[in-house]
Amino acid sequence: MSPQTIAFLASLIVVTGLLVTVDRLLRPSLRELLGSVTGLPAATEFYLRAFALVIIFVAVAAVIGAGHTDLKADARFMEYVWSVASGLQEVFQNLLIVLLVYVGFMTVLLAALRRR
Amino acid sequence: MSNEHYLIASYFLVALVSLCLGVLAYRALRAPFAAIADLVAGRTGSTILKRALAASMTMAAVVGFLSVSYTQRGCMKYEQVVKSRDYLVQVNREQLQGTGNWIVYAVFAWCVVILICLLVLRKKETEHSDQAS
Repeated sequence: MSPQTIAFLASLIVVTGLLVTVDRLLRPSLRELLGSVTGLPAATEFYLRAFALVIIFVAVAAVIGAGHTDLKADARFMEYVWSVASGLQEVFQNLLIVLLVYVGFMTVLLAALRRR
Repeated sequence: MSNEHYLIASYFLVALVSLCLGVLAYRALRAPFAAIADLVAGRTGSTILKRALAASMTMAAVVGFLSVSYTQRGCMKYEQVVKSRDYLVQVNREQLQGTGNWIVYAVFAWCVVILICLLVLRKKETEHSDQAS
């Protein structure tokens, strides 16, 4: 197995854990909020699925995009760590941007659909 | 496998994977979207909306795939492209990354469409309650 593959798999494992954590943390309260604002189960389901899709695609795309080309065959342990960390930087950055956009969108949704 | 064979095989394989990702995103959103579209637009209108969702998701995936250029928009010759396997793998990665990013843009765009649908529904509800009172 090449060093790039090892680094890619390590990044993928970390990102999977991260995505599960983010989803577990936000999903229950997001479901409750959407349920009370939209009053339509289909809309709640749509936005929850959109949320899951968006975080999965953006994080996995960032992991795939990180080439780990800096790793050589005789790379030491910390070089792997640095390479994975470098890939994760883009994952966190993109995830943060997407979460901020989603929060912004939820704010607009709340403001537009709040019952008077 | 020579680099040229790898280029041909990987190009079509990644294109297929990109298309499948678009279809996957569409299938994930289809059921709740259809329920909302039926409520807002009726049978005819909802068919158009559902087909638009399918088309836009697959198109977004294809756009992400096609947005990556092997020749760096004409700056590299074919011989230079097929010289390095690492470069070919990197372009495949960029194609998949582009696909993922474009699908995310499309999902956000459809979130806005659903918001508009919900506003229309809310307006209809208000009109009905006004007429009833």
